[in-house]
Amino acid sequence: MNLKVENVSAGYGSVQILNNLSFPDITQGQLVGLLGPNASGKSTLLRCLSGILAFKGHISFAGQEYSKTNHKAWFEKVATMPQSPPAPTALTPTELLWSTARALALPYSDQALAHRIEDLFTSLGIYEYRLSALSSLSGGKRQLVGLALALIREPELMLLDEPTSALDLHWRMTVLQLVQQRIKTQNQIAVAALHDLDLAARYCDTLVLMHQGVVVAAGAPETVLVEDNIARVYQVEAKISRSPYGHLHIDVIGPLPGSSPHV
Amino acid sequence: MTSKSSLHADFSRLNNRRILVLICLFVALLISLWLDLLAGPAGLTAQQVFEGLIDPSSLNLRHSIILWDVRIPDALIAVVVGAALGLSGIEMQTILDNPIASPFTLGISSAAILGASIAIILSPVIPFLPSQALTPVLALVGACASAALVLFVVRISSGNRETVILFGVALVFLCEAISFGFYLIADAEALYQIAFWAMGSLTKAGWIEVAIVSAVFCLVFPFSLRQVWLLTLIRGSEEHARSTGVNVAKLRIWVIARSSLLAAFAVCFVGTISFIGLVGPHIARLLLGEDHRMLLPGSALCGALILSIASFLSKILLPGTVVPVGVLTAIIGVPLFLSLLLQNHRRTR
Ligand SMILES: Nc1ncnc2c1ncn2[C@@H]1O[C@H](COP(=O)(O)OP(=O)(O)O)[C@@H](O)[C@H]1O
Ligand SMILES: [Mg+2]
Repeated sequence: MNLKVENVSAGYGSVQILNNLSFPDITQGQLVGLLGPNASGKSTLLRCLSGILAFKGHISFAGQEYSKTNHKAWFEKVATMPQSPPAPTALTPTELLWSTARALALPYSDQALAHRIEDLFTSLGIYEYRLSALSSLSGGKRQLVGLALALIREPELMLLDEPTSALDLHWRMTVLQLVQQRIKTQNQIAVAALHDLDLAARYCDTLVLMHQGVVVAAGAPETVLVEDNIARVYQVEAKISRSPYGHLHIDVIGPLPGSSPHV
Repeated sequence: MTSKSSLHADFSRLNNRRILVLICLFVALLISLWLDLLAGPAGLTAQQVFEGLIDPSSLNLRHSIILWDVRIPDALIAVVVGAALGLSGIEMQTILDNPIASPFTLGISSAAILGASIAIILSPVIPFLPSQALTPVLALVGACASAALVLFVVRISSGNRETVILFGVALVFLCEAISFGFYLIADAEALYQIAFWAMGSLTKAGWIEVAIVSAVFCLVFPFSLRQVWLLTLIRGSEEHARSTGVNVAKLRIWVIARSSLLAAFAVCFVGTISFIGLVGPHIARLLLGEDHRMLLPGSALCGALILSIASFLSKILLPGTVVPVGVLTAIIGVPLFLSLLLQNHRRTR
């Protein structure tokens, strides 16, 4: 059930964004953190993995090459949480999840589906908003609804595009713990684009650090988050230390002079 | 063991409340249909109408003709055209993710007016073809041509929503400009007829028109119902729909094709009452939320109800004349719409 990404190139129209991107095989039960500054191509890579953006190169999952798999079978194995949360409409979270499950023909009875949605909402802390219009919820709450949308299925590969960007610390950690727990117990793989380096180091098994469409470093957190890599990719000076609790901590000292990173 | 979850109970309650709203709308529609049957200059009493409905031979010939060949088809065309425009409007609004999308904003009504104008102006010149037959045919041709153009743009823009709406609005201006060109060569009688047609009138429709519009509606509605879950999903998160493998561009073509077809048939017989295609969906959304299982039938019911009430009022408002129903739908629809809109704003504050 490994995930392989080899020499992937992709872009939009004539603009190439990913250039021959590869990283080491990901084995079952791993949470992979995609790191990199804005516009480094994290979302683009996730779109390739989810099967909605054409690419050159090889992506295979569980021994099946993407280009040789039929689309429907791929979408059944993969669940994606896009970067943009559900729109602020009059729909309620319950209606949205229910309709999604039915639109995707998920094999749950009404009872089972209701239980599943209830459990998801409870663990994501949005149960009390189950019948509120999405338009009345904050961006963070809608992001959690978006995560619930991806988690309503039992995929083998989960792709999460900045699942915690609008959340405050408590829910960031809760969400990452939830995802971690889920892939460990179900032996799935999750690839999540993340911004928070400390949390990524703490919850991910593997980190992939991207910059301008290529992988700068990939591997265990302590091998990826080193001062040189951070300086090169984020253009900041950083000191890496271990907290008394054993967590990797990235102390950002300041921007490096004379550099103009991509915005 | 699965016990009934509290979320399930809440959701069922919400759904039941919405079904109740649908039932109320339906009952209101029946009442309005009944009032519409009673209204008119021939002096039929309610009892006569009731008996005539059950047993046409209970009426004298004149009354029987008035009831069965004038009032019933007029009342029914209001219902089916309203339902068609309501359904068409809500599907366009959802699939283009735009609250002002409607058969009118996509240029379908304007193209129908253009077609009808050409028919009215040219019919004296063309032998054999009576204007009554030519007008709806050319209106339909115009509406279908504009729908085909819109679809073409949906295709080449790979379903870009803004492009589609802007093209539709441009089409409105183009059709109007061409129509104005034709008005310059039209005589006064033709101009009057065109104005009358453009304001919308239910009185020219007979059983055939009722049958045709109903048939198109019945053809389209099952397809719409089959995609209610998908439409709700798209409304909630188009990105998510796409990431689960939904071909949004293809769905968009398909939905616009069927809703344009429906709108084209709705406007070609009765003129442009297109306002309903805009306001019916909004009223339904305010009453029923955005679960398309409820919203699609709700929008059709709202459209039918507004047009039926308008049809009734058009006959009783000014004794001796029938006020154009398109004028009335705007006059009733706008205040109703605004009050619901403002009420909704206050609630969500
Ligand atoms: N739909 C798109 N069309 C064209 N260019 C895009 C699109 N999405 C992203 N890009 C471009 O691709 C580059 C990488 O973007 P993205 O993959 O979203 O980066 P990240 O998620 O790491 O911030 C950016 O320069 C962005 O402008
Ligand atoms: Mg991104």
